[in-house]
This record gives sequence, structure tokens and C-alpha cells, in this order.
Amino acid sequence: MITTNNLTKMYGDFTALNNFTLTIGQGAIYCLLGANGAGKTTTINLLLNFISPTSGTASINGLDVVKNPIKTKAFLTYIPENLMLYSSLTAVENLDYFSGIAGKKLTVSSLKGFLEEAGLQTDAFDKRIGAFSKGMRQKVGIAIALAKDTKVLLLDEPTSGLDPKASNEFGLLLQKLKEKGVATLMATHDLFRAKEVATHIGIMKDGTLRQQFVANDISLSKLEKEYLNTMDYKELVL
Amino acid sequence: MTTRTFIKESKEMMRDGRIRIAFIIVILLLGAAVWISMRQYQNVNARYEAAKAAEREVWDNQGKKNPHSAAHYGTYAFKPKYPLSLVDQGVDKYTGTSIFLEAHNRNEAQFSAAADQTGLARFGDLTPDFVLLFMIPLLIILLGYNSFTKEREMGTLTLLKSQGISYWKWIWGKWTALFLPILLITSVLFLVASIVLSNLQDFGVFKWESLFALFAIYIVYYIIISNLVLLISAKAKKSGISLVISLCVWIIACLAAPKVASNFAEDRYPFPTRQEFAASVLKDKKAGLDGHNPWSKESKLLEKKVLEEYGVDSLHQLPFNFDGYRMQKGEEHEAEIYLKHYNHLKDQYIQQSKVYRNLAFLSPYLPTRFLSMAVAQTDYATHWDFADAAEDYRIATQKFLNNNFAQNSEYGNWSYQADAAFYKQLPNFEYDPPELNVILNRNSSNLMVMGVWLLGSFGLLFFIPKNL
Repeated sequence: MITTNNLTKMYGDFTALNNFTLTIGQGAIYCLLGANGAGKTTTINLLLNFISPTSGTASINGLDVVKNPIKTKAFLTYIPENLMLYSSLTAVENLDYFSGIAGKKLTVSSLKGFLEEAGLQTDAFDKRIGAFSKGMRQKVGIAIALAKDTKVLLLDEPTSGLDPKASNEFGLLLQKLKEKGVATLMATHDLFRAKEVATHIGIMKDGTLRQQFVANDISLSKLEKEYLNTMDYKELVL
Repeated sequence: MTTRTFIKESKEMMRDGRIRIAFIIVILLLGAAVWISMRQYQNVNARYEAAKAAEREVWDNQGKKNPHSAAHYGTYAFKPKYPLSLVDQGVDKYTGTSIFLEAHNRNEAQFSAAADQTGLARFGDLTPDFVLLFMIPLLIILLGYNSFTKEREMGTLTLLKSQGISYWKWIWGKWTALFLPILLITSVLFLVASIVLSNLQDFGVFKWESLFALFAIYIVYYIIISNLVLLISAKAKKSGISLVISLCVWIIACLAAPKVASNFAEDRYPFPTRQEFAASVLKDKKAGLDGHNPWSKESKLLEKKVLEEYGVDSLHQLPFNFDGYRMQKGEEHEAEIYLKHYNHLKDQYIQQSKVYRNLAFLSPYLPTRFLSMAVAQTDYATHWDFADAAEDYRIATQKFLNNNFAQNSEYGNWSYQADAAFYKQLPNFEYDPPELNVILNRNSSNLMVMGVWLLGSFGLLFFIPKNL
């Protein structure tokens, strides 16, 4: 479970995130939409404790991320826009390392099982990551989440640059994790994918959460309209 | 996490072609250096044994002769090549291999290896100490310069940080992956050295504990270098910057600092030139008793004193040959002069060494170099010990000869000749170099400086990069 309470981050006079309050329960996928600089990545960085909040709190599975930086990270997996892995290691070796440092001791066959579950082709398991496409690397990232038995997934623009097939496959993987009860926060520009995979959608602007929707209660066209209105792109609204 | 990071780093290293090539080059260099040193060691010691035996034979078979003629005829003290010079040749090349021992004069060691070489020798020799002191630190830089920066550049650092890693364990894993290959190479070298040494004639001075001490010194040196390289990598933003800074540190530590220390020490405590030294000795010698000059003021004073002591009126009434007695007293005076002047040189050397030791805080290379040469018995201190032992032997030899002259002939009888068998009674020159504990005591400040470098570099490595 992800919880933020009046989470605020300021850089001098500039407010990157303003009183951000949110709860994402087990099996929920929350998509944060917003233009560049809206505060989406700042929110994720605060949840990862990469930066310290100016005020407010953030917690993962009930543990404050500032007070318990190591423990909270044991529950989560983070997949950035460009997931970079060790290029001279194979997919299995990368998965072994990252799951290993998270405290999991897994056999090669179970590692391969997680890669398979994440949708990676079998013949790529023992190939070095250097030759992998972005979509394949994202799948290894999901395999890390599966191997870690992650409770929280933080995704920062994970589908940007993916072709429609890869993006669709990624969406299916998120659904699979949702069924396992994983709480997911995904920052994205991709309205279509957000509508496809999310249980909840939020629109951010200038560090503030402006609107929230239950994904099933809003159509894609309505979502697009609300988004453009929030962004003050009224001339683009059809 | 430490083990997993170690395994991961090791796999990455082994799969990097540049590192494989660097490893092969260093191993080949080490192999060639050990082979060359071994051949040189065997050749030098074979020549040493032959020269020592030949010289003794010449001395023993010089036939009936006046003892003072034999004193002028002289003999040689040969410096053996010590077994651990196989690892570190130190200053052996420049210090000379034998000292001519004769009446009235203390000579310096001559026939240095450097003097036999052409100008090409300026390019240096391929020796194990060159590889150990210069090349392996370069290998450490090559292996470790991007240890942390690559994580930033590849973007894996973000993923690692999101996994909740323990920095200490992570750094420890990287440190182990960097250090273990170096430990392996060094161990192989010392293993080969120990096999070679155990199969060579050891001249009674090879000690296993010295080899282990030498091994430990180099291991500490590499730990310090590894810590510094990883620290630079942890603080640098990019691999290129890390490499340049590491190479600059190597240049300063291994090339510039020793030369700066040497120039500074020489400037503060200069040695006299050879001409100045010879002139000073001659001046002092002239101011005292010359055993060959019975007409000098000092000889007359000695004559008067001895006549009074024995209560006789003439030198002919003395129970010994006064010529031999005067010759011995002259030797003793000259020996004092040499002792005084060589002690001054030694003081200057000690002062220079102190300057070196004080500057050892500049670079871990300096204490390592001093300790390595000292333990290998190829440093100046060992050479001084050898030269002092040769001088003691020279003084004892002169006494042995002059006493025979004085006791077995009458005053004025310069035609006296000692039996051929007498010369065989002169004991052989034996020199035992200082034991390891003496060497380590002498170098306690170097050990302390290395300890400070070791702890300081570990402290910096494990506390500074917490904000990676």
C-alpha cells in the first residue's frame, strides 16, 4: 500500500510538489498524468526516499520511507523510463543479482520461470542485456518485481518509447501484478495506456493533484478532454 | 549482498576484453621479470662464489712475505646477492659488489652492475619490483576506475538505490572484486619466488618470514591503492574523470613523490663530493700518525711514549719490532679518521632517510619501497652494514698482520717474511645481514606510515561515499 499525506517538496521558492495526499491500496493501479514538471517524478523520488520531503509524509506498507529507507525498499520495485541493467550480464544473471540484493535466493530454474512469467522470450534468458530492446529490459524489470514478490510498484514513464505491441504486453503484465495484489503508481503521458490499465487516474499540474477519477467511470475521450482542460490547452479540446 | 556484488563485478571484469588483455600483459611481464631476475641471481652468485674462492686462494698461496707487504697486497670482501633480491633488487645495482681491503685506506665498494651497463640502462630494467610497484597499481586503476562511475553512467545506480542496498556491503563487494584478482596475481608471484628460492643455493640468509613480510608489505600497498582508486571512482561524476584523476595520483605517488623526496632530502642534507670527501680524509690523516713515516712529530712522540712505558733507552731494546707497532698505531689512527668521516656520511644518510620517511605521508609508494628494499636486504642500510663489516674485517686484518710483524721481527728488520702458512690463519670475511626483526625495528616509522595510509584510506572509502 502506498500512502502520502500532505507531501510537499520545495526547492527554494519553487514548489515541486504541493500537499500531495494519496492512498493506493493492494491491487490498485494509480496512473498519474501530467505535463513535464507537473511533479510526477518528484512524487516517485520522494516515495523512493531519493529526495527528502520539505513537509508531509510518505509511507510504503505503513512504514515511513524517511525513517525506514531500507525496509520500505524491500517491499517495492522501481522501473524508470529507461530501465538500465548490466549490459555484460545475461537476463538471468541480472535477475539473480537484483533479486539477490533484495534478499532472495533463487535457483536458475525459478529465475527463468519469473522471466517467462514476465513475457521474455526463452531464447533471450541467457543472452547479454546489452543486445536487449527497451521492451525486453522492461520485462526483466517486471521479472525483478515478480522475483522480489514485490508489494509496491513504482513506474516512471515505463511505456514511453515502446512500440504498441510492447506497450500492450507491458499493460498485460501490470494486470498480472494487479491480480497478485501489487499496489502500482505509474507516472505517464500515455492517456490511452492509463485508461487501459489503471484503476484510478490522477491529473497533476504545477505540483498539485488537480483531478482524480475512477478509471472505469470515465471514457478515454472524456479523460482526454479533462486532461487538456486541466493543462489549459482549451484550444485543443474538440 | 557482498558476495553477490563480488560475483557480479568479477563476471563483468572477466567479460571485459581490455581487462583480460591487461591481465595477460601483467602476468607475462611478471613471468619475464622473475625469469630474468632468477638468471641474474644465479649468474651473480655463481660469480660471487667463484671470485670469493679464487681471491681466498690467491691470499692463502701468496707465499713467504713481509706481513706489511701482504697488507698492501690486500684482499677483497665480496657482497653476496641476497635471495630476496629476486623480488626487489633495490639499490644493489648502484652500490658495488666488492670492497678492496688494504693497508691505510678504506675503499668504497666497486664494480657495480650499473657501471657495466651501457647508456641504454637509463631506460631501466624489467624486474619484479618494477612490476610490483608500478605496473600492478596501474592494473588496479584499470580494474577499478569505473567501479562506481559505471553505475552512474549505465543508470544502474538508480535501480540499485531503489533496491535498498547497504552501502557498506555494496562497497565491500566491489572492493573484494577489485582486490582478489590482485591478491591472486601477487600470491602467484610470491609462490613462484618461493619455489625458485627453495631450489637455489641460499647462502644461509634466506628466511621464509622475510618472504612473507615482503608479501604482506605489497598486499597492504595494493589495499591502499585499491581504496584510493575506489574512493576516486565513488566521488567522480564520470569514468573518464575518474581515470584521469587516478592516473594523476599514480604519477604523483609513484613517479613524482620519490623524486621530490630525493631532491628535497639531498638538498637539505647533501653528501660531500668525492673530491671533498677524499681531501677531508687526507687532511685529517696528515694531522696524525703515519705508520710509514718514522721521522714525523707524531712518530717521535709515540717512540718517546713507548720507550718510557717499557723503561728502555732504545727501540732495539723493545720486546717487539717498533716498526710493526708504529704501523699498527698508524692504522688505528687512520681507521679513526675513516670512522669519523664515514660516520658523517652515515649521519647525512640517516638525516636523508628521515626526510624520506617524513615525506612518506605524501605517497604510499615511499614507505612500501623502503620496506621492500629493507626486507629484501637490497637497501642502502644493508649496504652500509656490509661496508662497516668489511671495514671491521680490514682493521682486524691489519692488526693480524702488523702484530705478526711486530712480534716476530726486530726493529729495523724490514726483510722479515712471515711463513706462507701464516696467511692461511686469517679468518674468512663473514657477513651476516641484519635479521628481519632488526630491519622492521629500523623501519618502524615506515610501518607506521603504511598503517596510517591503510586505516585512512579505508576510512575515506567507507565514510565519504555514503551520499553516492
